[in-house]
Amino acid sequence: MTTWDVVVIVGAVAAIAWVNWYFFFAATEGAPRRGGEGESAP
Amino acid sequence: MNGPASVASPEKVTIPVSGMTCAACSSRVQRTLARQPGVAGASVNLMLENAVVAYDAAAVTPEQLVEAIRATGYGAELASRDQTAFQEQEALDRGRQEEYSALRLKVGVSLVLASVGMVISMPVMSAPMTGEHAGHGTGEGAAAGDPFMNWVHGAIDPWLAGAMPWLYQVDVQLLVYALLGMTVVTMGWAGRHFYTRAWKAFRHHAADMNTLVATGTGAAFVFSLAATFFPDFFLDRGVAPAVYYEAVLFIIALVLLGNMLEARATTQTSAALRKLVDLQPVVARLQRGDAEVEVPVAEVVQDDVVLVRPGERIPVDGEIVEGRSAVDEAMLTGESLPVEKGPGDAVIGGTVNRTGAFRYRVTNLGADSVLSRIVRLMRDAQGSRAPIQDLVDQVTGVFVPVAISIAIATFAVWFVVGPEGALIPAFAAAVAVLIIACPCAMGLAVPTAVMVSTGKGAEAGILIKGGEALQRARDVTTVVLDKTGTVTEGRPAVTDVVLAPGGEGTEDGRAEDRMLALVAALEASSEHPLGEAIVRHAEGRGIPRLRVERFDSVTGRGAVGEVGGVPVAVGNARLMADHAVDISAMEEVAASLGGRGRTPMFVAVDGSLAGIIAVADPIRETSRAAIERLGRMGLDVVLLTGDNRRTADAVAAEAGIQRVVAEVLPEGKLEEIRRLQEAGAVVAMVGDGINDAPALARADVGIAMGSGTDIAAEASDVVLMRGDLQGVPSAIHLSRRTFRTMRQNLFWAFVYNTAAIPVAAGVLYPFFGILLSPILASAAMALSSVSVVTNSLRLRTLRLA
Repeated sequence: MTTWDVVVIVGAVAAIAWVNWYFFFAATEGAPRRGGEGESAP
Repeated sequence: MNGPASVASPEKVTIPVSGMTCAACSSRVQRTLARQPGVAGASVNLMLENAVVAYDAAAVTPEQLVEAIRATGYGAELASRDQTAFQEQEALDRGRQEEYSALRLKVGVSLVLASVGMVISMPVMSAPMTGEHAGHGTGEGAAAGDPFMNWVHGAIDPWLAGAMPWLYQVDVQLLVYALLGMTVVTMGWAGRHFYTRAWKAFRHHAADMNTLVATGTGAAFVFSLAATFFPDFFLDRGVAPAVYYEAVLFIIALVLLGNMLEARATTQTSAALRKLVDLQPVVARLQRGDAEVEVPVAEVVQDDVVLVRPGERIPVDGEIVEGRSAVDEAMLTGESLPVEKGPGDAVIGGTVNRTGAFRYRVTNLGADSVLSRIVRLMRDAQGSRAPIQDLVDQVTGVFVPVAISIAIATFAVWFVVGPEGALIPAFAAAVAVLIIACPCAMGLAVPTAVMVSTGKGAEAGILIKGGEALQRARDVTTVVLDKTGTVTEGRPAVTDVVLAPGGEGTEDGRAEDRMLALVAALEASSEHPLGEAIVRHAEGRGIPRLRVERFDSVTGRGAVGEVGGVPVAVGNARLMADHAVDISAMEEVAASLGGRGRTPMFVAVDGSLAGIIAVADPIRETSRAAIERLGRMGLDVVLLTGDNRRTADAVAAEAGIQRVVAEVLPEGKLEEIRRLQEAGAVVAMVGDGINDAPALARADVGIAMGSGTDIAAEASDVVLMRGDLQGVPSAIHLSRRTFRTMRQNLFWAFVYNTAAIPVAAGVLYPFFGILLSPILASAAMALSSVSVVTNSLRLRTLRLA
């Protein structure tokens, strides 16, 4: 196993954790975002 | 069934929503709306691009709901209040047409660019990998890149090298730049909305189909960009600096193509609705003073008098004031025979006048017209959700993040476990997973089936008020039929005319006609429904009306009077006894008629018994066949009536019904349905929708028998536009078939996604060397959506009769 392999594995685990946190947990935490700065439609 | 709402009496508003592309989008808007204070329920429809919200007007305004939708990243705008259903539908159709044209242009251009890109990438793929330029994954020694492109390369490269040798003379780096340029154009113009919508969703912690397409193509693009400008970085690590531009080009082109085919097919699902909208005539011929003027329908006002000639379409709703005709109402009620109409009868805008000319007074206009109400009701029905959709939403809600996780894992596993230099296939597999995981087919599975079948029902005069009713009707085990007006015509008619023995002229019917003429003349002054039946019967036989000199109604007994100087009495035995008329000769006949559920009325002329006229509410012509059909479908049929047992039994025997519940009060009907439900039955109650409203509401499925003009039956889930019991088995049949279609759709969509993801991830590679190309993945994804819509469209061919 090379250094790159380790980097990829750690990166992948972190990415998967982040994706699931962002879409499942962060979405339900606190109040839903309200329209405000940075909310202008592209 | 109409469960208790959480607010006192919620208002309802339909808000058009734009920018939703898949089930995840609609469920996101729905969740947002449901979270708003004062919202009792929200139903967001992807196909109709609208949200129907039940809300408490004291807690929230429609404007706030619109704001909430906009904050989610979608477009929303309130429809103008006076807009009729036609205008709304036309606006929706226009918008769709524009969107479709724009999409078609994008598909055309992006397909051309993708094809050119594929040709250009051939010499790029053939070029040896050096540090000077990026190449493609097929360079010597590199593991397989995109398998589809490799195959194409093997197939057309030799031929292309012969046909276009100059292309192979061009500097490879230049070709790569050309590919990059085309990709930027495709991503920035044709596929722009994938990225903007994905970004909007992302900011709200949501992911949908756009997220998958955007991440898949975005990752491929960034990778290619790095390979284009920093090839040495890859070469130094023993990895070919492959570019993936043509994959990005093809994925966007194919996903757009899928969207376009899908848009075209979903337009067809609302074809029935559009047909109804097209029924609305443009002009009406009015009588203004002595002149006839043609005016646009929009300018017609209440109480205007409209002239209609044979063959013309009736412009608006009204009531005939002069003239007679047969009117073809098939387009609204499914009734194939023209309906005879005369003064006082209602005519419906959109139906076709066949034989005669007539004048009528305008009654309902604009949003209140029957046609407009049907269109609105159908739009609401088509926009409603079937309960099975909740399951789909739950799945699609978690599907996208899970798919992204699988894609990341795929990349890591390939990178670590795969052959030397497996960066390229690792990347291809991850992109393929992202692309193939799009849950579009799942999002379309249920709504398209609801749309097609509600449209199909409406064509046959069966208005189903939504996906929920549609799904529940499939589980019905017991059909409870109200008697009067449902199994029977609901209008008494003369069934028997029997003369007293020993009378004259019995052979040629003269005596019968004379008796009828006398009785009809007398009853013409009465308002009793039985009397009306006799008058109608006499008119139907062409018997001239005689003059009445004296008329007295005797409550509970009948009527007496004098016609042409002759004393006449019509009524029951007690009335005859009051007038000392001997009825012994016909008592047996009367008893026998009574035993068959008919009401016998004795007729005395000049103080002696002339005969009996029996009146009954005859069963509808089609009732027996419909009840047989229900039996064949495995349903229990129960006759429920407030009438006496004898009449009920007689009707049941004639209609072929085994179970009879008679002599029940209106509250008793409700109780009876509750009892059946407690015994485990799923009950469909069929009634006229007015007297039976509580029972219809209590039943699992309430079916109202409309009379063509009366579609408002609020308490019901299904309205039969035509007074024909055949609509009941048809509705249940339609429901069963629709549910089957939904299940097939969902099955295929789930199977497709669950089976295709592992293949895309490369589980077959170690055993068979099979790896799914991202390009093929995008083609398969487009195909799966189209196949689901096509399966729903098959419902259009269903025979309901």
